[in-house]
Amino acid sequence: MKKMNMLKMALYGAAMIGLMTSGEALAEGKKLVLDGSTTVGPLAKAFASYYTKTTGVEVTVSESGSGNGAKSLINKTCDIADMSRAMKENELEAAKSQGVNPVQNVVALDGLAIIVHPSNRVKGLTKEQVRDIYTGKVTNWSQVGGPKAPIVVIQRESNSGTQDSFKELIMGEEKVSEKAETQASNGAIKSRVASTPNAVGFVGLAFVNRSIKALAVNGVKPEVRTVKDGTYPVHRKLFMYTNGQPTGDVKKFIDLPKTPAGKRMITEIGFVNNY
Amino acid sequence: MNLGTRKLLDRSFTALGVGSIVIMGMMLLVVLMPILSNGITANVFRGTIEHRKLLYNEFRRGDHAELQRQIAESDAARRKAYAMMAAFEAEMKLMSEEKHAGYQEKYDQVKSAMKALLGPVPGEELPELTRFKYGQTRWSKAEERLHELLYEKQWDYSNPDVEAKEYDVSRAASFQGTSLVKLFPYVESNIDRMLLPEWTVYWGFITDSSIDSHMFGGIWPEIQGTIFLAVGAMLFAFPLGVIAAVYFTEYAREGFFNSLLRSANSTLAGVPSIVFGLFGLAFFINTLKVSESKSVLAGSLTLAIMILPTIIRSAEEAILSVPKTYREASLSLGSSKWNTIVTVILPAALPGILTGGVISLGRAAGETAPIIFTAAVSVGSAIGLADVFSSPTPALSWNIYNLASEHEAASEIRHVQYGMVLALVTIVLMLNLSAIILRARISKKLKG
Repeated sequence: MKKMNMLKMALYGAAMIGLMTSGEALAEGKKLVLDGSTTVGPLAKAFASYYTKTTGVEVTVSESGSGNGAKSLINKTCDIADMSRAMKENELEAAKSQGVNPVQNVVALDGLAIIVHPSNRVKGLTKEQVRDIYTGKVTNWSQVGGPKAPIVVIQRESNSGTQDSFKELIMGEEKVSEKAETQASNGAIKSRVASTPNAVGFVGLAFVNRSIKALAVNGVKPEVRTVKDGTYPVHRKLFMYTNGQPTGDVKKFIDLPKTPAGKRMITEIGFVNNY
Repeated sequence: MNLGTRKLLDRSFTALGVGSIVIMGMMLLVVLMPILSNGITANVFRGTIEHRKLLYNEFRRGDHAELQRQIAESDAARRKAYAMMAAFEAEMKLMSEEKHAGYQEKYDQVKSAMKALLGPVPGEELPELTRFKYGQTRWSKAEERLHELLYEKQWDYSNPDVEAKEYDVSRAASFQGTSLVKLFPYVESNIDRMLLPEWTVYWGFITDSSIDSHMFGGIWPEIQGTIFLAVGAMLFAFPLGVIAAVYFTEYAREGFFNSLLRSANSTLAGVPSIVFGLFGLAFFINTLKVSESKSVLAGSLTLAIMILPTIIRSAEEAILSVPKTYREASLSLGSSKWNTIVTVILPAALPGILTGGVISLGRAAGETAPIIFTAAVSVGSAIGLADVFSSPTPALSWNIYNLASEHEAASEIRHVQYGMVLALVTIVLMLNLSAIILRARISKKLKG
């Protein structure tokens, strides 16, 4: 009786292990680890599945924010750091002290879209108006040509590259009001604005869809064309940082935006080609 | 107190007890029913021809001949619609420039609505991303898309004092007088023939990998990652926890140091899980460097530390509840202390120890915070057993969060999110169930 049980258990065990090891056949030992920006995330994920499909190299993507991406690269726990802003001085220094040499690679161009609920009659704002809303000087939509309703200001967390870009491109020296609400990703801001009639937020161009309305800034709408030629005032570059000049698989991956397939993926996701 | 009052009190207490159990049951129902009813839509739904095309192209699943027949059937219905579009494009070229420009934007919207509904227009270059290569795979989504094709959503901003209201404008009306006006009633009445919806049971949702970051396909990598992480955490935490409990109950002398250790253990049980997550990142990955990147190993170790206090506590209680007479009998027969622990006390305490283990296992499977920085990724393929020491993995708990908030098309793929929730709840339930059965068996053996 006891032997029967042992046999059964061994069988179960073998079946379990068989099930578990049946993961997809991948190229021996080759893998790429990407970490960082939630803005670059959709692009990184699209590139990842394309790259795995065409080369068999396993690629994993985490979306934890630009700041975390930089930290991961500095701690050598990722091969490529997705970032929606350039690395800061202190990060570069930290990298140097860890023997990491961060190299900047541009993947795409992005326009930072200022978004509101589609029910909001406001069609556009000037850069100054956006700044005044975020500093707390303007607190009601009626002050900028909208309905009589208090503005719900939404920003990103401190770890976000999008937040840093926003500060640099819009806020300048001024500080974001303490009343601003914080959301942890582009997607979270989008769904918060889509469900809140009086909210204002900012997301990367690829996150703009019908559920929200992107405002014109200084009279220019955020579109592929206006971002590409630089007439949309709140535009920026999206990066993938590598440790040292990319080689091998990392290089092939980084060079995807220069290939026809990569360019098409960038367009389909909703970003703007740099090359 | 007279007998009447006592009976009354007794009855009211019973009623209170029954009432609270009923309320609990209803709460469970309220929580579980939506999980079940929404979750099942990931597996069972009205799938369109696009779903069957996708299954065949990506997984080589389905009857090829039958699929070809259906594609031919749907294409026949679609061809007319595309012909109408081509006719209108030709008509636009003949218009005056002003008129052309006026229609162009509206027509572009119609075209993209058609693409969203039926997939790429034949003759145009095939998109790179899988999500744009197919039309709507689910009938419920297709109906939404059809509405978007037929009506344009507009907002009434006329009254500045009230919030703008949404209203639908028929697209057909805005193409009045052109050849395109026929397209809308045609698509509306022939949508069934274009998409051929039929009830589909897609078990592949559980066993397939995801395609194009969860837009299509299944959640097997997530399920597997969850199992790996939970089992891995148990492998570390269970032996350690039991050994620690044996030390606390059998070897440690009651004293200041011992009570300090105990209270430290209790405190640890109450520490928020995100703290363990950050600790895991700082200690296992950055200091010990157990792996080069996030990995299942690092995640398991972090989860193990998180569930360790619970396991120690429950094992301790279980060991303490073993009757003293067992111990005395064993020792009086000349057995050593160690021998008594291994052969008498631990087997007798095993059911209780297992209960604690299982509760912890469920918690390890469901926790998100500890694995954010140590193991979880939003996209990755299923890993083999050999990769657990070096590779990160997707996991249900984290990917549910990711799909709920971060994913760029979160609102499009709610069914995947619901399916993941159902899978996670089922896994935890199954783990609990198997442990209850195991426990019952062991108890029976011990008694018999």
